[in-house]
Amino acid sequence: MAGLELLSDQGYRVDGRRAGELRKIQARMGVFAQADGSAYIEQGNTKALAVVYGPHEIRGSRARALPDRALVNCQYSSATFSTGERKRRPHGDRKSCEMGLQLRQTFEAAILTQLHPRSQIDIYVQADGGTYAACVNAATLAVLDAGIPMRDFVCACSAGFVDGTALADLSHVEEAAGGPQLALALLPASGQIALLEMDARLHEDHLERVLEAAAQAARDVHTLLDRVVRQHVREASILLGD
Amino acid sequence: MLQKREKVLLLRTFQGRTLRIVREHYLRPCVPCHSPLCPQPAACSHDGKLLSSDVTHYVIPDWKVVQDYLEILEFPELKGIIFMQTACQAVQHQRGRRQYNKLRNLLKDARHDCILFANEFQQCCYLPRERGESMEKWQTRSIYNAAVWYYHHCQDRMPIVMVTEDEEAIQQYGSETEGVFVITFKNYLDNFWPDLKAAHELCDSILQSRRERENESQESHGKEYPEHLPLEVLEAGIKSGRYIQGILNVNKHRAQIEAFVRLQGASSKDSDLVSDILIHGMKARNRSIHGDVVVVELLPKNEWKGRTVALCENDCDDKASGESPSEPMPTGRVVGILQKNWRDYVVTFPSKEEVQSQGKNAQKILVTPWDYRIPKIRISTQQAETLQDFRVVVRIDSWESTSVYPNGHFMCEMPVNTPESPWKVSPEEEQKRKDLRKSHLVFSIDPKGCEDVDDTLSVRTLNNGNLELGVHIADVTHFVAPNSYIDIEARTRATTYYLADRRYDMLPSVLSADLCSLLGGVDRYAVSIMWELDKASYEIKKVWYGRTIIRSAYKLFYEAAQELLDGNLSVVDDIPEFKDLDEKSRQAKLEELVWAIGKLTDIARHVRAKRDGCGALELEGVEVCVQLDDKKNIHDLIPKQPLEVHETVAECMILANHWVAKKIWESFPHQALLRQHPPPHQEFFSELRECAKAKGFFIDTRSNKTLADSLDNANDPHDPIVNRLLRSMATQAMSNALYFSTGSCAEEEFHHYGLALDKYTHFTSPIRRYSDIVVHRLLMAAISKDKKMEIKGNLFSNKDLEELCRHINNRNQAAQHSQKQSTELFQCMYFKDKDPATEERCISDGVIYSIRTNGVLLFIPRFGIKGAAYLKNKDGLVISCGPDSCSEWKPGSLQRFQNKITSTTTDGESVTFHLFDHVTVRISIQASRCHSDTIRLEIISNKPYKIPNTELIHQSSPLLKSELVKEVTKSVEEAQLAQEVKVNIIQEEYQEYRQTKGRSLYTLLEEIRDLALLDVSNNYGI
Repeated sequence: MAGLELLSDQGYRVDGRRAGELRKIQARMGVFAQADGSAYIEQGNTKALAVVYGPHEIRGSRARALPDRALVNCQYSSATFSTGERKRRPHGDRKSCEMGLQLRQTFEAAILTQLHPRSQIDIYVQADGGTYAACVNAATLAVLDAGIPMRDFVCACSAGFVDGTALADLSHVEEAAGGPQLALALLPASGQIALLEMDARLHEDHLERVLEAAAQAARDVHTLLDRVVRQHVREASILLGD
Repeated sequence: MLQKREKVLLLRTFQGRTLRIVREHYLRPCVPCHSPLCPQPAACSHDGKLLSSDVTHYVIPDWKVVQDYLEILEFPELKGIIFMQTACQAVQHQRGRRQYNKLRNLLKDARHDCILFANEFQQCCYLPRERGESMEKWQTRSIYNAAVWYYHHCQDRMPIVMVTEDEEAIQQYGSETEGVFVITFKNYLDNFWPDLKAAHELCDSILQSRRERENESQESHGKEYPEHLPLEVLEAGIKSGRYIQGILNVNKHRAQIEAFVRLQGASSKDSDLVSDILIHGMKARNRSIHGDVVVVELLPKNEWKGRTVALCENDCDDKASGESPSEPMPTGRVVGILQKNWRDYVVTFPSKEEVQSQGKNAQKILVTPWDYRIPKIRISTQQAETLQDFRVVVRIDSWESTSVYPNGHFMCEMPVNTPESPWKVSPEEEQKRKDLRKSHLVFSIDPKGCEDVDDTLSVRTLNNGNLELGVHIADVTHFVAPNSYIDIEARTRATTYYLADRRYDMLPSVLSADLCSLLGGVDRYAVSIMWELDKASYEIKKVWYGRTIIRSAYKLFYEAAQELLDGNLSVVDDIPEFKDLDEKSRQAKLEELVWAIGKLTDIARHVRAKRDGCGALELEGVEVCVQLDDKKNIHDLIPKQPLEVHETVAECMILANHWVAKKIWESFPHQALLRQHPPPHQEFFSELRECAKAKGFFIDTRSNKTLADSLDNANDPHDPIVNRLLRSMATQAMSNALYFSTGSCAEEEFHHYGLALDKYTHFTSPIRRYSDIVVHRLLMAAISKDKKMEIKGNLFSNKDLEELCRHINNRNQAAQHSQKQSTELFQCMYFKDKDPATEERCISDGVIYSIRTNGVLLFIPRFGIKGAAYLKNKDGLVISCGPDSCSEWKPGSLQRFQNKITSTTTDGESVTFHLFDHVTVRISIQASRCHSDTIRLEIISNKPYKIPNTELIHQSSPLLKSELVKEVTKSVEEAQLAQEVKVNIIQEEYQEYRQTKGRSLYTLLEEIRDLALLDVSNNYGI
């Protein structure tokens, strides 16, 4: 049996997308009543749920409080049934710690933390077969839902590189094939990069193209998220009955 | 807008559990249909190739047809083929990479009229697989559904034929949709391509072998071999160490009995086996073929066998006990094959008697592969008798456990020429061709030992007193039909590779060294050009192109021809054609031959002179010939000696190429293959100009004419090497000559700079260059165009030709590169086992041709080596030459000037090297672990190296420096004498005019200037 052909000669990927096309994205805001903000996002078969509490006073040791800005606290966990094999993954394992740290860096860059000194914002993300990109997008919506002021949307997308072509928004099959993979979180309005992470080796000459593919995909995600937010606001205002 | 679907796959894991995998699957409304009939070309956004619009129908092969009959679908005659994605994936998953890559190349090939339609990504074509539906049924259903959609998409304007092997599908879908026909492949070929004989034969062959396979598997009585184990069991077995994986290697001398399995990486580490595993007998080999990756089970120790005695002596690497020569070694049997290494094999048909002894069933024939290691192959064909005398290419299809031999089908044939069935000129060709066998004295001149003779020459006096010069080139295109297997292979190879000790042929050797080669004394087909020349001025009056039959009378080699030309008739004994002749006829024949060679040389000189008038360059490349003795040891390195005969032959070939170029360009102005040589960049000449200036020559590089003239003038009477070096520098500055298609270039760019011809091509070596084959076909087409005949076969269009040219140019460059590297390798090997300190041959004469800051570049004419020699070694010591002119390393410094370099030691000695100085060098080899070995040069004396019995290169040995010094000092003394006389006169004048006595400042300075003459350097070599 021949190996999997990630990109056919005709320019199709395994799942029928072309190189620059995103997976199907569906999102909803305000899925939990008891939280300050919440959102649910589906990117292809990757599903992520984000919940935001805050800004509220620092819980636990007061020593952690920052005098000039708010503390962003992020936690990531994945569902037991979310991967090919059902396997219990305890909290605080290496992978989810790393993901939490990355999310925190991303959102510290985006949230106007200095508006809420001495307070804390909690972001809890749970994802099925989670990827970083889905988590960030879900968290963005949740933070927006909570009404916490941000500089901009944070839109994230991954990109890979196969046979000289940059592929946007990798699916699980493409990730598993083990090529270079780049995760990018972007503030679309200013074009600033909140986080950039790269696995495996990629030649410097190709980096720009892969980066551009990821950025373009992130901008596309932004249009979608923007639409979701506007839809949500419209519904909310109707519910309030003016 | 994409539509998302989910595809559920059920896979089995290695542990045997089922795993449910959900994959996304996106459908889109618009998938490029690549059809010119598309109603919405904008939406379908076609890029890449389209189906041609002049077909009567489109044909859509079912997945099974693509898997089994891909070779027939490869025929360029079949047009308008739409491969469905479903079918392609079936090939990819079930037939392996090799066949899938073939399909991919087919789809990429712009000449082949076929496209891929991604039906599984089209939202109307995609059908999810239903519950309980078999994979095969679903694939057929998908393809049919896509075919119907495609038909409607083209607005019902183009009928579609779906070919399938599935009888049920034919019944079910046959009359479902109007305009979409479902028939079997055989039926399709019969109805639509009744004339395509080759396809029918191939189809029959495949069909039959398939049918037999089915029959045999049904019969399943009396198994010859044990069944192979399933893949999972094999993999588990390898992991657990029960089985061993390796590559099967059949013993060439005992192909029936002995084979060895060479262990592969991991498995050899785990087990404590050191040697290969013996597989004894065909039964234990269990249907694996040489080169397969097999899985082996070791037999218990009491069943171990030894190697056959005769072969055991040279490697007894296994088990240290070593009691008897045929000591048992690990023996095993093959339980499964992981990867089949089946290729296409060249086989021979058995003779008639053998066929009869094989039984009545003459349709099945056992053929014997050329390679001993491959078992006999059973093929089915009805043309066994017609194929009797041919060697054919066969592909193995299957090897059932019930059958002793593998089944195969035959692919293509090759002509045969053996003593039993000699190749003969066919009477039909005899009528079509001009017969030169009786009327012309044809002969060839080639290097010694040459097998592929592709050019011959003839010259004779016509009745009207004029001369007729003929160039006869091997008619390769007669044997190599366009787009045949040989042709395609030759096209990918593009050229024959000549390495120092071997060559890689472009054409199979039965053609290149036999049937096409214009050997002496046999009838051969040729393509000839004949010019009628004026008897006195050698002006060309008429020219004739055409196919001929010739019989070359003599196969001469260059050296013999040169001797004959020089009037030295003693070489006659070396020419085999003269051996068995009586004295009288021998004398007559010899005179005839000598006259012909003489006349040819005369003509060539005239043609050359005409070309020189336009500025043809005579360039110099260093070529070395490696002489090998019988045991492939390097005997000697010999620089190639240019003889006048070389030039004569080359000139005739250039003339022929030029005239053919003119002819094909006139007939096909937009699709002829020519060769251009663009003018070089002026900046590349700067080194040449600098070097020449050092010797006081001026090189004018503005045009090829001025360059040729100034190179001719730049000749040092004392040192012929100077001119050779300057010419080789000029050669290096040249750009590469390239093939191109006339449709892609402006006419001014056709010019060949080096040969100073307005049009040039390659025509004279079709055996070793593919470009010549193309040109032959063009010439044949041009001739039939002149005769108002239909042009057979379609020629390459401009675009195709351009692509082909690019390919050939690339291959040519690669060939040159490998040739150069091979020569370098052999130069290194020649010096490698010689001890540089003692061996006489490692010391040679070198000429400095370039000066660098810490050393000089040297050229060694004896071996044709160019290399660098350091004047300052790694410890910072510089070279110095004592009074006996032997060099030593001493501390000091180097000073570099425009055309000399001086090394001064701390104790004041100094030695200067000038451009074009001769020095003595020692050649040694610098071994390198990571790269190839390189040649290292070391200057051991600043005097030229004197060889006791002067070699060929030193035809006019340069003036020795000591003599030169004497000469110069003498001239200086004379000058001083003259000066003194002059001074005397001045003194007289002083007296007369009452001027102050004593020398003026002017005279003093003049004297100093004269003293400077004592520095020999400035005078040397004027």
